[in-house]
Amino acid sequence: MRLLAVSSVDVDGVLLLLKIGFLGLLYLFIWRIVRTASKDLRLPQESFILAPQQAEAAGLRKRSSPPMGRLVVVKSPVLEVKSEYVLDSAGISIGRGSQNTVALDDDEFASASHARVEPRQDGVWLEDAGSTNGTYLNGVKLSRPRKLTPGDLVRVGETDFRFDR
Amino acid sequence: MTLRNRELVNLFVVAVITGLGFASVYIARQEVVSTASLSYALFFFGLYVAAHAVARLTVPHADPYLLPLTGLLTAFGVTEIYRLDPDNAFRQGLWIVVGVAAFSATLILLRHDFRRLESYKYIFGVTAIGLLILPALPLIGQTVNGARLWVKAGPLQFQPGELAKIFLIVFLAGYLREKREVLAQGRLKDFGPLLAIWGAAMLVLVETNDLGSALLYFGIFLAMLYVATAKPWFAGAGMVLFVAGAAVVYQLVSRVETRVTIWLHPWTDEKVFCAQTGGLALRQECDSYQLVKSLYSIGNGGFGGKGLGKGTFSNSGGDPLIPYLNTDFIYSALAQELGLIGIAALMLVFMLFCLRGFRIALLAQDGFSKLLALGLTFGFALQTFIIVGGVLRVIPLTGITLPFVSYGGSSVVANFILLAGLLLVSNRANATANIPMEGRP
Repeated sequence: MRLLAVSSVDVDGVLLLLKIGFLGLLYLFIWRIVRTASKDLRLPQESFILAPQQAEAAGLRKRSSPPMGRLVVVKSPVLEVKSEYVLDSAGISIGRGSQNTVALDDDEFASASHARVEPRQDGVWLEDAGSTNGTYLNGVKLSRPRKLTPGDLVRVGETDFRFDR
Repeated sequence: MTLRNRELVNLFVVAVITGLGFASVYIARQEVVSTASLSYALFFFGLYVAAHAVARLTVPHADPYLLPLTGLLTAFGVTEIYRLDPDNAFRQGLWIVVGVAAFSATLILLRHDFRRLESYKYIFGVTAIGLLILPALPLIGQTVNGARLWVKAGPLQFQPGELAKIFLIVFLAGYLREKREVLAQGRLKDFGPLLAIWGAAMLVLVETNDLGSALLYFGIFLAMLYVATAKPWFAGAGMVLFVAGAAVVYQLVSRVETRVTIWLHPWTDEKVFCAQTGGLALRQECDSYQLVKSLYSIGNGGFGGKGLGKGTFSNSGGDPLIPYLNTDFIYSALAQELGLIGIAALMLVFMLFCLRGFRIALLAQDGFSKLLALGLTFGFALQTFIIVGGVLRVIPLTGITLPFVSYGGSSVVANFILLAGLLLVSNRANATANIPMEGRP
């Protein structure tokens, strides 16, 4: 508690030093983060905008996106066998209920929102959307999202899909 | 260095900065402030290390800068609140503890998959509207400063609008992801929801008498709509609608009109009618007293500031000259004490927070996460702009909190939940992406 004893001139000096320290460290901290942020700018950029066609027109997204793939119905009590669902950037949702891309209306083993297939930067991924009976990939129940490879069999309720390029 | 270790190092730097800030308030005001003041800095470091530990367990791949930046913002706030009134700083400290608890709870609850929130989007939407209506209800609703934004239940008093903001963003992220293709076609019949939300924003404006909240909610909606549909003219049309609606409300609600008059003409040469006293007075002595005094104090701070603990104007009784200095006007208190150089640093910290948030939105892989991260960050940015712009007389002033800095419990807790949301999206994006991340060799 020796600070209390110093004269007022010294207090001003100490305060000035503290202020310089406070601001100096603050700006150093900011500079550090800005520097890492400028490194990020050199990474491949993606657009905020979700709709791919317009983004493409605006030159925001690379034009030659590879074909993402499709789901072909192999066996189903409700869908026609061999019908196809083409994957777009929005992904495909599967479940009982018309809000899904693939609506499995009378399949009693499917949940309202059952599974989702979506393209990501490194490929197409399958993931369970919190279904009651689970989603199966090549006969194995899904515990975490999995990357799909062409020829994979996806089972939702009593419906089987094959993933093709 | 792993992302979480980087976070810990940054938190340590923030703790040192906080310590320096507290020390200078302590030395400048030793006649009022107790020796316990420095323990605040230590206490905060401990609190953020606890938050960091929860993040380490639940979101190991999340952005390493957001938590330290938040720490810095709350430190700025608590230092200044402490300087104005140590008792309030104690309460604010308690609210930050509650905020960190809410942050941890959000992370722990949603650590497996936050995207299941999407299935409950309508529940979030309805709850958000319910929360917005709460202050308008008799008995529990409270009018503070002419704006009806508060709810009082027993000893608890809170602003449900802060939480409603986050619920609204979750709802919009789910709703727009589902409907974006239909909306992007731009058929007239699909504009029902857009008009409904515009109507709701106008209703909030009339109901609460508060231009700032209406602008905030509607701005978040427009930004997310633009991102979902990629149609700039949607956002343009929305803004025109908002301005048109606000112009009508301006005619109808005298409080909004007063706010605009204060903004355009804060000084008068002749005495005008003053509603507060019922007599005649110069406007700078009456309606625009707060704003004008705040502008003087920002000017008084100059380039280098008066120094932490030495700056703000007070009346002969020792109380701050400007009413609501620790909430709406904390920006001007900080500007006076830290000067342009210090307040610019604070604004840079806000910008960095937004930069990290937008980066998370860029990296997020699926529509819901992208919209959620963007909405949360944009809401944070717009709220900062509305209050700082209001204090600096860029736009009409409305009482809204400066996120993480202003004194106020609901705001602190809601913003910690917002932070948890951003970290969850970031964790998922970084964990699934195979692109090179900074921090990895």
